[in-house]
Amino acid sequence: MLIEAVLGAVWLSATTGATMAGRPDAAPQQATQQAPGKPSTGDKAQKPKKKKAKNPKPSPDEEVDETDAPPAEAPRTFRAEWKQHPSIRIGSFFRADFQAQFQEDIHASYAGASTLNKDFKTFDLHRNRVGIKGNFFKHVQYEVKRELTEKEVDATTQEKCAIDPTVKGCQIQSLWKDVYVNLTYLKRAQLQVGKFKVPFGLDQLTGVTHLDFVYRSLGAKQLAPARDIGAQLHGQLFKKSLEYAAGVFRHDGENAHSSKIAGGDLTGAGRVSVQPFRKSTVAGISALQFGAAAAISKLSDDSYRPNGLQGKTVMTGDTFYHPVFVKGRRHRWEGDVDWTAGRYSARSELTLVRDDRLQQGLIEDDLPDSRARSWYVSGTVVVTGEAKTRPIKPNGDLFQGGIGAIELAARYERLWFDSVGGTDVPTRANRAETILESGDKVLTLGVNWTVNRFVKLQFNGIREQIEDLGRNPVPKNTTGVFWSRVLRLQFVL
Amino acid sequence: MRRGLWRVLLTGAVVVAAGMTAAVRVDTQTPTAPQVDPANPVFDDSYVHEVRVAINPKDWTALEVHYLDNTYYTCDVKTDGVNVRNSAIRSRGTGSRSGVKPGLRIDFDRNVTNQTYLGLKSYVLRNQTQDASNMHEILSMLFFRRMGLPASREAFTKLYINNVYAGLYTVVESVDKGFLEKHYGENDGHLYKYDYNADDKPYYYEFRDGNGDSYVPHPFKPETNESDPQSQTIADMIRIINQDGDNIFRTTIAPYIDLPKFVRHIAMEMFLGDNDGFDGNYGTNNFYWYRFEKKTLFQWIAWDKSNAFIDGPTYPIFHNINDQPPERVNRLTARVMGFADLKNLYLDTLLDFANAFVDATATPTPFPVGTLKPVSPAATPTPIPTPNPDDPRGWAEREIERQYALIKDAVYTDPTFNGTGNFKPADFEKEADNLRKFARERGAFVKAEVAKIRPTSSSSRTRRGARAFPAPAFPASSLAAASRVAAR
Repeated sequence: MLIEAVLGAVWLSATTGATMAGRPDAAPQQATQQAPGKPSTGDKAQKPKKKKAKNPKPSPDEEVDETDAPPAEAPRTFRAEWKQHPSIRIGSFFRADFQAQFQEDIHASYAGASTLNKDFKTFDLHRNRVGIKGNFFKHVQYEVKRELTEKEVDATTQEKCAIDPTVKGCQIQSLWKDVYVNLTYLKRAQLQVGKFKVPFGLDQLTGVTHLDFVYRSLGAKQLAPARDIGAQLHGQLFKKSLEYAAGVFRHDGENAHSSKIAGGDLTGAGRVSVQPFRKSTVAGISALQFGAAAAISKLSDDSYRPNGLQGKTVMTGDTFYHPVFVKGRRHRWEGDVDWTAGRYSARSELTLVRDDRLQQGLIEDDLPDSRARSWYVSGTVVVTGEAKTRPIKPNGDLFQGGIGAIELAARYERLWFDSVGGTDVPTRANRAETILESGDKVLTLGVNWTVNRFVKLQFNGIREQIEDLGRNPVPKNTTGVFWSRVLRLQFVL
Repeated sequence: MRRGLWRVLLTGAVVVAAGMTAAVRVDTQTPTAPQVDPANPVFDDSYVHEVRVAINPKDWTALEVHYLDNTYYTCDVKTDGVNVRNSAIRSRGTGSRSGVKPGLRIDFDRNVTNQTYLGLKSYVLRNQTQDASNMHEILSMLFFRRMGLPASREAFTKLYINNVYAGLYTVVESVDKGFLEKHYGENDGHLYKYDYNADDKPYYYEFRDGNGDSYVPHPFKPETNESDPQSQTIADMIRIINQDGDNIFRTTIAPYIDLPKFVRHIAMEMFLGDNDGFDGNYGTNNFYWYRFEKKTLFQWIAWDKSNAFIDGPTYPIFHNINDQPPERVNRLTARVMGFADLKNLYLDTLLDFANAFVDATATPTPFPVGTLKPVSPAATPTPIPTPNPDDPRGWAEREIERQYALIKDAVYTDPTFNGTGNFKPADFEKEADNLRKFARERGAFVKAEVAKIRPTSSSSRTRRGARAFPAPAFPASSLAAASRVAAR
């Protein structure tokens, strides 16, 4: 069944790609190369035909900087076209691109994983999102994106909240993903309002279809905030050598919440990334980018359940660190480096989170801060020779004379939790003075096959080592080590 | 001469070797002192114990408010003066769950690997919210053990939450790997708990389908080997119970169930008038199931007998067996009662229990008290009265009086008997009287009921098969029909 689905998707993408190649309006949208105010490349009637690029069609999930390419001053006539996405436009007054992202997985892990964890299934319709993205007038951009399946969010949350309304933040998790408006009147100080990602974490801020691995790093999934409702100022300075974003959010993101964990409250976050050698002529240096972020959130103990962060294994979602009771403030810090040169890339990121535990002892005494730390180092190489981009643009699509682009990837990471100080014997108690250290060391080896601009297949072998054997999810396993495998079919439109 | 020397040396060597072997054998045969279970003092039922829980006040409030949750809270637990830090406590129970007087489970090793209290990884604090006498459970389990059936050990305890008296509880031995090891000398088999939800349709061991997932984890919840629950074995057994004909049933079920042991289990529940047991009023309920290592054989272990005794001494000895339509009769019990020898065994077992219950010469308690002295100086053991040959009361009646005297003060000062709960001290007295009546009359009633069915029989005769029942109560065909009705 799934094989049929995979073949069907590949066939669909091949035929769609072939069909679109012949479409008169399938010319490249080289928005990033356009100077502001210049006419849209989509309007063929207004400019001479350009020389066809090597791989002119942008992938549906390719980032296009619309602020540098304002809509052309076209007549206010309705048009429907398909360049990067199926799109409808009313001159430059209105634009709506229809987007879709589908990721379906086949899993395998240790024996008994599916018995112990009812959410772990061999076949998983992991992520199925549809959305609309576009603009009103010249300076109002918008996006609305919704998850069709509930794998990425706890769909039973609302039901649980109805039963137990005392769990604060129950309403936070939602099938709605990005729902925002971005005002670009000032290019260097754009104002974004709505629900979107809190500016924290390189891996977390990388789009789901651009990931080098099937799963984000543990730190990105469990320590970085992810999406929340708020407002932020963001922009690029010094000819894009510096990017910044700073905002205020209602809570501290969906990663810190669940149906049982209330998470943090009012959150302030900011991130800066710089490319100090952007203009360097030294090969391999110019694309070196450094980033740093910080966030601070208010933490309450209003919920009767522990409100700390939790640690879960990569694929099976087994909890190797249960949340502890926290109250006060949550501080997050992050530093990262990102490098791309030719067909190679490398990334590394370090994240630190500290939670106050005021009055959380058995006699309502203050406890030492709880702490979570993570880091990863990853690298990729495109063995078929294409330049490393996110997404990769194959030199030749499958079914059109090529084989697509094949990339090898590897990542090593660690996520671990403990407390800062404490004189007691370390234990796993959620009100322990000294928290017993618990972590997960993960090696991920992967192969990514970008079949064409619509379809990508990813295979990851994941070796995990649970450090606290008392929390080892694998029955009768004395080492804490286990392997998981996942094959993902990704289809974007 | 040389040959003679060799002979002497050889003979000597043989003698020495034999001597050494004998010496070794003697060593291995030296009787060792019987192992004393370090947990014995916890279940010494000769005095009311004392458990003090130190817990964050917010957590205790949360536990009371969200008593339907199984959320664990951190606490320090001081049992009879011995403190175990970083323990874990949660609300527990099914029908007995309460936000006023929560049923509790305490885990010593949840937060700290291998942490125990006197060898126990956990124990249960039963709240007895369905039993004003507080004695149904402890008396039942005592009688189970007295009759050689596996059951938890129990003792009364006063519970203090942050130094405030929260009420009288019963500390109950958990059915876990430690329990299995003590009873069976092994613990790596499959332990299941019958997991009944209040809104579940009553289950009577009817055949759902041949898929193990239809039985595990619900209603048979794995307590060990959770990742490999071997559910297919249960599906196979249920199929045999429901579908195999009488001509092969005894043979095909033998690898799964020791039928005489099963008969003993249901006879005990019936004798105690437990209306919420294997053949209870609400479908089957309240037992653990242990499947032995490398076998398909299952063993029943009793659990939660708070509903025993409540219907009085005239609780029918075939209640829910021959007074219900077939679709509301447990299929296994029905099959067993369909065989004359097993039905005779059932009746014989009831007679055995009736005799033991009223035995005036029996020792008051089989529990080996005094192996360790209570740690808490406040908890002074009550002297165990020696049986008075002139005292006509049976074992059960005397046991009830002993326990009544033991807990009366603790019940009268229990806050849930003084306004916050649904009981009053008068309810305690009334239910204690009901228990005394049960103890006095149950044995005679059961004997009379057995005599009605088997007016001329005796145990020995029936065991020789001299007498048999005319026809199975529920032949296999009617069971199949009942299953179809239930499925509809």
